[in-house]
Amino acid sequence: MKTLAVVITTPPYSHLTITALTYVEAALVAGINVIGVFFYQDGVMHANEDISIASDEYQAIAHWQRLQQQYQLPLHICITAAEKRGIACDAIDNDKINNAFTVSGLGELVELTTKASRLVQF
Amino acid sequence: MSTLHLVRQSAFASNDFAQCLSVLDHQDSVVLMDDGCYNLKHPLMDSLIKRVDGSVNINVVVSHAQARAIEIITAVKAIEIGDVVELTFTHKKVITWQ
Amino acid sequence: MISIEQQSSSSAQANGLAIINSKAPFSSTHGKDALDIALIFGSFEQKVSLFFQGDGVYQLIADQDGSLLAIKDYLKTFSAFEFYDIEDIYVCQQSLSNRQLDENFHIDEVKVLSSIEFSAALNRHQHVLRF
Repeated sequence: MKTLAVVITTPPYSHLTITALTYVEAALVAGINVIGVFFYQDGVMHANEDISIASDEYQAIAHWQRLQQQYQLPLHICITAAEKRGIACDAIDNDKINNAFTVSGLGELVELTTKASRLVQF
Repeated sequence: MSTLHLVRQSAFASNDFAQCLSVLDHQDSVVLMDDGCYNLKHPLMDSLIKRVDGSVNINVVVSHAQARAIEIITAVKAIEIGDVVELTFTHKKVITWQ
Repeated sequence: MISIEQQSSSSAQANGLAIINSKAPFSSTHGKDALDIALIFGSFEQKVSLFFQGDGVYQLIADQDGSLLAIKDYLKTFSAFEFYDIEDIYVCQQSLSNRQLDENFHIDEVKVLSSIEFSAALNRHQHVLRF
């Protein structure tokens, strides 16, 4: 079984994120079991409910939401990285956090890494 | 134990590509993507092509190169992102140089 | 404040995780962010090895003092590696010599490797993250 875990460290307003999203979607379309995406460092900004990107620009957050809904793709944000950036949270249902994302800790990265046959960082 | 190297930075701006080349093994593959495409015109690329003489599979994401008006040289294979997914599983592991 | 789903870690990869540190210690948080991952893997008893290459080698050099910059000196935590069973710490010899650095580190048990040995050590791991 081809299992893939992905680590995202770039924010939604970085064009590098477009490559990451394209890659993850291509993996899902190819039938790869993407067991989770872990957002670390500035990657956690994807879960910021207050971010508004001009409508004629690439909507990274909307694309993550779409993949999460379409493929039940687990999206985890690192709570420590999120708190540092003002988007956390001692409660799971925090209105600053986009509900497509799950608040997790680095322990989740350990889980993903031990379960995935490949780990890819973007 | 082959490795897939994803190179996302221009060697004109950072040492990432040079660091990648210092650990490159003869069964490995390289994918130039994002600003890594600019490395097609970097002196390190010329020396890499001479050094490996076809034993290392060197690829570039074609849309990323075309968007930047970079000509793809014959020693390098033009691929799509979907091919990067496939390469992920034909190698033992992936290192991202960004 | 870390929410951890406690599960059996018996399915551990034999080869574990390699973390490549490529940034100097004080101007960015990359080194600290990488350290946090290493310590979590250590506390979950998962194998993790640390590689220092390029400007990352500055993280290992002795006699640094982050407190002069009002930075919480995460480098001091490196001395706790043995308590987390983090034993494999590798530094690229070429990166040291390029920077005119001696093999004078603030922790023991650092292995200085040639590029070929560094590459071979990296290849003994299942997964790689780079910061």
